[in-house]
Amino acid sequence: MKISKKVTIPWHIIFIFIIFLLIFPIIFAIGTSFKTLQDAYNNPLSIFPTSPTLENYKVFFESLPAFKVTLNTFIIASVVTIFKVITSFLAAYAFVYFIFKGKNVLYFILISTIFLPFTVTMIPNYLVISKMGLGNSIWGVILPQLADAMGIFLLTQALRSISISLIEVARLDNMSHWHIMKDIVLPLVKPAVTSTGIWFFITSWNEYVWPVLILKSTENFTLPLALQMYISSEGGTNFTVAMAVSVITMILPLALYLIFQKYIIGTFISSGIK
Amino acid sequence: MQVVTSRSKKRFVHKQSILAYSLLLPSVAIIAMFMFWPFLYTIYLSFFDWNMISLTKNFVGLQNYIDVLKDPITYKVLLNTALYILILLVFNFTISYIFAFVLNFFVGKMDGFYKSAFFLPSFISLVVGSILFTWLLNPVSGPVAIVMGWIGLSMPIWSKSEGWIIVVITLITSWKIFGYNFILLYASINGISREIIEAARLDNVPLWKIFFHIIGPMSSATGIYVFIITIVQGLQFSFTPIKIIAQGGPNYASSNAIYHAYHEAFVLYRTGHSAALSILTMAIFVVLLIVEFKYVERGIYYENK
Repeated sequence: MKISKKVTIPWHIIFIFIIFLLIFPIIFAIGTSFKTLQDAYNNPLSIFPTSPTLENYKVFFESLPAFKVTLNTFIIASVVTIFKVITSFLAAYAFVYFIFKGKNVLYFILISTIFLPFTVTMIPNYLVISKMGLGNSIWGVILPQLADAMGIFLLTQALRSISISLIEVARLDNMSHWHIMKDIVLPLVKPAVTSTGIWFFITSWNEYVWPVLILKSTENFTLPLALQMYISSEGGTNFTVAMAVSVITMILPLALYLIFQKYIIGTFISSGIK
Repeated sequence: MQVVTSRSKKRFVHKQSILAYSLLLPSVAIIAMFMFWPFLYTIYLSFFDWNMISLTKNFVGLQNYIDVLKDPITYKVLLNTALYILILLVFNFTISYIFAFVLNFFVGKMDGFYKSAFFLPSFISLVVGSILFTWLLNPVSGPVAIVMGWIGLSMPIWSKSEGWIIVVITLITSWKIFGYNFILLYASINGISREIIEAARLDNVPLWKIFFHIIGPMSSATGIYVFIITIVQGLQFSFTPIKIIAQGGPNYASSNAIYHAYHEAFVLYRTGHSAALSILTMAIFVVLLIVEFKYVERGIYYENK
């Protein structure tokens, strides 16, 4: 379609400006994490440190069990991702390829939980996890996250894109459901499963609300909780350290996004979320 | 998000209900245990006076609801909630809708780059976002205040002033959720036939008319979905910056219905009030949910069908 440059150029300028506003904070954090505090106060507008230093990272690793904190975050996100992909995939498979009593009602009820605010479940969940002796444990953070409606929804959408006759032929050949899943369905929806998995991983990695209720002692913290310790409303004396912890917190999600962005955007676009 | 249709009623995997139920069991068990049961228990708690520690819960009937509805703080918080919703919708519904439209039809080159860049902050922790913006927007020494100073403007002490604090927290939340909404709307508009738009352009239909009379109705299913998740999830996402930057203050000025329920439960230990407030908030969301299923699931217009 021919649209005159008079229309497109202002929009390019607007988009570039908005992207600058969205991305600048991230670049600023990376630059500042290598500055000394003095440098950060003297040259707040420059993203490049005058004399780069690793001091801020060193402070983080010396003042907190930083390695343990990073490992906790990684374990929680990995366990949650593996289980959630499996539980969601199995549920999606049942919803797409089976006919059973109460199917539509069950799907409707499960998907409705996407709209439940966490405040209507937080007190009982907190009490249950504490009673199980999992208060202040990463397993207490993991347990409620092992399945969710969003995962079932995304994978149901992905599975519905596979031609049903393919599965019917396999069934007529007496192929077991296990083999259909493993050898037919999974290879076909691999991009969707991969990007859903990455989405779960990053969501869990960044999760703040539930871990902050459960985890009490520093050695059990996740990265977002550790980062919170450096915050005061005035910026504070630990500001450059906070930037270093921010960089550590966002480096893995950023890397995963940059590597898999085509997959991820493609999955969200083709899932036809409605 | 429509109900799964069963296209293969005749031959395929009938009478295998038991296998289907066992495939569903892990998800249903977890969701029942950590979603449905706690939801019912929260309703139960809303009728009791309790502090989470004491061994006895006193049944008080509807007293918690009456207390919550009589408390002036509730109305302050609800008013704040309305302001949050309004600003969230401007950024994450209106602007992302317009951007999705423009990027689909009038940009051509670079649209891949724009999409990736818009979506990128959705992958970053809101705690990181909160700390970054707190510093960037520091009214005295932050970079934004310095740049504004060059042109003689000064920044309000937003962390101490009513109204401004909500604007800043919503900006941070929008930074996180804008890209996700944008991608959904982009996908939906992308599914609309190009020929219709081309034909309208050839007839010299103005762009705003194309937007309101063609794009709007034809992407309405996604549009309504995005509208609702902007409210429901936007309010929940704003919990993080509210807690980190302001703890609901100053004087409840940054608190919303979600944060206040947390504050009642885990700061004041009034589980009854918290539960009652949560259930009332939930009731508002249920109304939205009915709208969602009535219009979106039945479909004003079904895309990609």
